[in-house]
Amino acid sequence: MMIDVNAYLGHFAFRRLRHNTADSLLALMDAKRIDKAVVSSAAAITYRNSQAGNEEVAEEVSGHCDRLIPFAVLNPFYTGWRDDLKICREEFGMTGLRLYPKWHNYSLSDPCCAELIDAATERGMAISIPLRVEDNRQRSWLLNIPDVPHAEIVKLVQAHPQARFLLVNGAGYMSSALGKKDNGLPANYTIEISRLTALLANELGQLINNLGADRVVFGTGMPFTYPDPALVKLEVLDAPEPDKEKIRSQNAAAWLRL
Amino acid sequence: MAIDPATSSSPEPQAHVSRRTLLKGSAGMALGAMALSSARTGAVERTAFGASGGPPPKGKVIDCHAHLMHHSRANWEAMDRKLIEAADKLGIDQLCCSTLTPKRPATAEGFRECNRWLAEAVGRFPGRVLGYCYVNPGCGQEALDEVRRYVEERGFIGVKLYNEHTCTEPVVFPVVELAIELGVPILHHAGHSHYFNEEQPHISDSGHLAELARRYPEAMLISAHIGGGGDWEWAVKAARNAPNLMLDTSGSVTDAGMVEMAAAVVGADRVVFGCDMSMTAGMGKIRGANLSPQDKEKILSGNITRLLGRRKS
Repeated sequence: MMIDVNAYLGHFAFRRLRHNTADSLLALMDAKRIDKAVVSSAAAITYRNSQAGNEEVAEEVSGHCDRLIPFAVLNPFYTGWRDDLKICREEFGMTGLRLYPKWHNYSLSDPCCAELIDAATERGMAISIPLRVEDNRQRSWLLNIPDVPHAEIVKLVQAHPQARFLLVNGAGYMSSALGKKDNGLPANYTIEISRLTALLANELGQLINNLGADRVVFGTGMPFTYPDPALVKLEVLDAPEPDKEKIRSQNAAAWLRL
Repeated sequence: MAIDPATSSSPEPQAHVSRRTLLKGSAGMALGAMALSSARTGAVERTAFGASGGPPPKGKVIDCHAHLMHHSRANWEAMDRKLIEAADKLGIDQLCCSTLTPKRPATAEGFRECNRWLAEAVGRFPGRVLGYCYVNPGCGQEALDEVRRYVEERGFIGVKLYNEHTCTEPVVFPVVELAIELGVPILHHAGHSHYFNEEQPHISDSGHLAELARRYPEAMLISAHIGGGGDWEWAVKAARNAPNLMLDTSGSVTDAGMVEMAAAVVGADRVVFGCDMSMTAGMGKIRGANLSPQDKEKILSGNITRLLGRRKS
């Protein structure tokens, strides 16, 4: 069993994506032997009204709920998010929330954001935060969106001990409290592997040593990125097979309450 | 990966050869005289082109863009060994390496030190590490003397240029002309962003390199790391009309479609595999690319082998 916690459907504003429909993503998953994937709207990253992207995803995953696990993208500063959250959870069956604080131009420490996180947590939803969407060096001339700083994530996980955070598209955790052993932080976050090294610096191995194999989950970033680098990481990772199995699927299944 | 019987049973490179024979042989090593341990080739089959990655490549795998550590790093020796171990795990047979100065512009003393260390590493990892001679073209005759010495006498396989000068500056031309004379490629650091790069004001991009390639059609130029963080679609398109310019796939960015677009726009004959130390990213991109096995074999080794085979000394 392989569960990818970091996949997308739909169009991205700045680059053409392939495999971005449910059917084509499922075909890619079949080719790579990935059983299930968390999906969210790529378009909602830049839509003003992100709920339109959620509606597109809900339509796409209809009939594929056995394999595609939809997450809602919401902006706590956009009107109607409470209604949208209710619809996403109750009508669309979305089991998680995705936040893009830098792209949507708000702070994770804003009270409004805290309210959204608490509301989603009360509904049993996981909170997924991409630390970046794409490498900033290739950014469009229209914008300059920084990565989400680890320090802001540290404060976030401290402020919401009951929430279940999925940190995706991140790296460099060893240089912040997030990746350190006995860091005093609640164990309410898990880290996805798509940007972690598994050789040379081997950040993935260090995270397993420091946080435990229970706190790391498989994810690819597809179809923004090739799924294969993440697959290769698991193949070359110097870890016991039971730990690899946790990373492949068991941790995600527990975190997502599948 | 299928093992070439001629290489899998070869002994380690012979110890008793003259320097000149060894130097000539270094190009031969690049073309396939390296011994492969059964353990390492087994790793290839199990890992980089695993069950979900399609058939493993039949030929060798050559990383055209790697680095060994500067000796000012306390752990340089361990880091160099880790690179070889990573190559073992990924089924990479050979690494084309340079060692760079920590700060640029490099002085002549600085790049001489780097090249001397790299030559020692080529000896420590026989057949695994191939050397690019790194110079700062701004050092003039000292740069030219260094390139000639390391290519002709130490068996280095090419030249590495970084960001001291944009490659279209006339100060770079003598280095290009010498590389043509010696019949070796130049791997040139490159990147294109849609903003001014304050940290690298003289960085070249593949458009500059295409211009240089048109000025010197006999030159063998490699534009480094299309996955190195800039706009890779721009980098690929700018290289289209320069037949003697290759694109290296290395870098940490693993955007889907990158390798396929490179192969479609410039042709699979002009794309070369590299990691630039982003090891699983580098190998994963090639594994994930929707290309024929024949095109992947060209990218993984055929194209760089063809370049290295044009050496004149």
